[in-house]
Amino acid sequence: MSVLYVALPLAILMGASAAAACVWSIRRGQFDDLETPPLRILIDDEPGDDDPPEGPIRKGI
Amino acid sequence: MTSATETVPDSTPTAVACAHCGLPSPPPSDVSQPAFCCEGCRGAYLLIHGWGLEDYYALRDRVGGETAIQPVESPGRFDELDDPTAMGLSAPRACGEGLLVSRLGVSGLHCGACAWLIERSASHHRGFQSARVRFHDHTVEIFYRPDETRLSRIAKDLARLGYRVAPMTDDDRQRRQSAENRRLLIDIALAGFCMTNAMWLAVALYAGESSGIAAEHESALRIAGVTLGVVSVAVPGRTFLRGALASLRTRTPHMDLPVALGISVGAWAGVVVVLVGRGEVYFDSVTMLVFFLLIGRWLQFRQQRRASDSVSLLMRLTPRLATHVDRDGTSRRVPADRLAAGDTIRVAAGETFAADGVVSAGRSAVDRSLVTGESHPVEVGEGDPVEAGASNLEATLDVRVTAGGGDSRVGRIARMIEDAAGRRAPLVQLADAIGGRFVVTVLILAMVTVAIWWRSDPIGGVENAVALLIVACPCALALATPLSLAVAIGRLAQRRMLVRGGDVLERLSRPGFVWFDKTGTLTEGRLRLRSWSGDRETLVAAAAVEASLSHPVAVAIRNAAEQRRYSVPAADNVRQRSGMGAQGQVGGRRVLIGNEELMRSEGIGITAARRAELAQISAAGMAPLLVAIDGKLRGLGGIGDHPRPSAADAVARLVRRGWGVGILSGDHPEVVRRVAESLGIPSDRAFGAMEPEAKLAKIEASRGSGGPIVMVGDGVNDAAALAAADVGVAVRGGAAASLDAAPVYLQTDGPSALVDLVDASRQTVRTIRRNFFLSLGYNSVAVTLAMSGLIHPLMAAILMPLSSLTVISSVLVSKTFR
Repeated sequence: MSVLYVALPLAILMGASAAAACVWSIRRGQFDDLETPPLRILIDDEPGDDDPPEGPIRKGI
Repeated sequence: MTSATETVPDSTPTAVACAHCGLPSPPPSDVSQPAFCCEGCRGAYLLIHGWGLEDYYALRDRVGGETAIQPVESPGRFDELDDPTAMGLSAPRACGEGLLVSRLGVSGLHCGACAWLIERSASHHRGFQSARVRFHDHTVEIFYRPDETRLSRIAKDLARLGYRVAPMTDDDRQRRQSAENRRLLIDIALAGFCMTNAMWLAVALYAGESSGIAAEHESALRIAGVTLGVVSVAVPGRTFLRGALASLRTRTPHMDLPVALGISVGAWAGVVVVLVGRGEVYFDSVTMLVFFLLIGRWLQFRQQRRASDSVSLLMRLTPRLATHVDRDGTSRRVPADRLAAGDTIRVAAGETFAADGVVSAGRSAVDRSLVTGESHPVEVGEGDPVEAGASNLEATLDVRVTAGGGDSRVGRIARMIEDAAGRRAPLVQLADAIGGRFVVTVLILAMVTVAIWWRSDPIGGVENAVALLIVACPCALALATPLSLAVAIGRLAQRRMLVRGGDVLERLSRPGFVWFDKTGTLTEGRLRLRSWSGDRETLVAAAAVEASLSHPVAVAIRNAAEQRRYSVPAADNVRQRSGMGAQGQVGGRRVLIGNEELMRSEGIGITAARRAELAQISAAGMAPLLVAIDGKLRGLGGIGDHPRPSAADAVARLVRRGWGVGILSGDHPEVVRRVAESLGIPSDRAFGAMEPEAKLAKIEASRGSGGPIVMVGDGVNDAAALAAADVGVAVRGGAAASLDAAPVYLQTDGPSALVDLVDASRQTVRTIRRNFFLSLGYNSVAVTLAMSGLIHPLMAAILMPLSSLTVISSVLVSKTFR
């Protein structure tokens, strides 16, 4: 049996799952606003936005 | 008293840009300080700096919006925001951690910096947790703690910055449109999936053709490919099939016809080939077609949607609730769109009228700038009409409703705009018409192909005919128009010219007639005291009386005193005499400022010498201003407005391009005549003293000359005229709603932007025509190849994206603003 009969369905399935994820995110409204998010990227963070965690600095995290 | 005749030299410092909103404003007495055009802007500027959000100005300039956000003048009450029953869709919902969230409509958003400002302002208001602005539907989600603050307080803060929030309109259309948008995007995603997988299957097959492939593998790949092709046509492609069926049923040609023909033939032929075992498959071309065409469809949809979105802003500026008064005097709050003719509503000072009506009790002053464009308040009493959208300024009024909700004047304008926006752009209609003829031509050619090959190779002939039907699909043709329009509109937006629909560009591509409003459009919009004959005392007294008034003439007098560094005392009993001027008491003496009518009505004599001076002032194109103290005429001035330096040039350029130019202004006819002369506009086309209705009538009358009728005006003043013209162009202007009356909004000052717009329109139409020809050229080549039996799936797969790419690059390199 040629590898094609495994590879082909598998490839299509992977593509289909990506498509499904895309459709899911569209349904949830993530693609409704295509204008503000590009502008949001331009905005600088204020200092203090990402507060460092409380407590002593732990190594290896 | 000595009187010194003084002509203020016109080289007085010209206007500076307001530090907050960018509109021209008088230069400050201390040049190191920023200038402001009004107290509102000064307040907003101080607030923004006080909160440490100066970055707003930097961001705004970087992101490219020259905002004209002017702080809401009379923010009025936001009490209805605190009443959950009145909020409808905007009713606050709990979202955990003691927070409530409410989604409100917001007006005044002009660019990304506005979103940033609103979201950042949250951190400066206790209890206001955060905000999330959604640009595409102009809403903002406000997260707040109910135990620390109220929505009305948050709304007041935002109003001080210039953004007005209101409960979301119960807009079914909004929901339908976002559902449609999502559906299209999902279809594009599915089509993309089918196309990309079909690609690699096709590549495998093409490779196999040249270097050999086992029969069973070939058929496996073919089956997979054809399945994808069928799925692509049946699922995302059903839009075109449905459109074609509708087109056949209603017998109106549509671009969907040839598309549906091409893709369905491709799908069926593929199935037949797989079953029969011989022949060519074109599934890769078919899936590609569906994908590209859906993108074109989505672009078109987005444009049409943006055009109609703005209308709901208009409706948001009329209140949702009104105070209804029953016959027995009990009052309750009812939704504004349930008001019927004959109802009586009570409108308090600071509130906006919810419906058209007639005053049944009370006296007050009304600001009608939203609807009729009169920028200074009008006194109303019993029996006077009022309009929905106007604001009540002084005292409570009872109004008997004559037209509520959508029947009001505001509502009718909104519907007019909606209808205009919904109509398909003429260019798209042209594409549709071509589509019809296309199908017929292609079908005939297919039959001819079969006939040619019948003798020698009948099956081959059928195959060639099938190939022809597939490759003749007008992908590029269908893409050309929406793409060109989208790019053109995007480029114009970068130049700060906001165009709300592709049909505007088509209409402006042919020369027609342009009517300009005068004040603010052809002239700088700042009235100045350009000549004064009288002494300092008189000017100071005049400035004292005008100190608290907001009329443009008052501003001019105040500025004149400020520029001369005169200190101005306080005035008492200041009263506006509508249409005539103002009066007040300064230092115990009665001061009158106004026009000749005012002097006549008070019995103040004007000497012959003064009359001569008055004549001189009018001849110079200025509006005369008379100041009388204690019954005697003491000072004479001329109020005038400077034509913009670029105006004459712009008019000349328009005339050179074949346009007729005229002026429609509410200002004094002499002034208008003068301005027209200086700009090279024939005086039979310059009209002054035009009421908004008269402007409307002139626009209707000037139709029939063959070209488009364009009205360029200050949005606030000319809403009706702008909506009635073929293309209304709003320049500057205040309330967002008046901007929505016109499909074009030019954010740059001066009429030269109009010339650029006209040029851009011509270029765009030229590009579209060029693309039509390019794509027709490709189709001819493809059809010829198919008819002669030389076509091959690989060739088709290359030709079709190539034609689309050519069209796309032709659009991108087009000369519009390069």
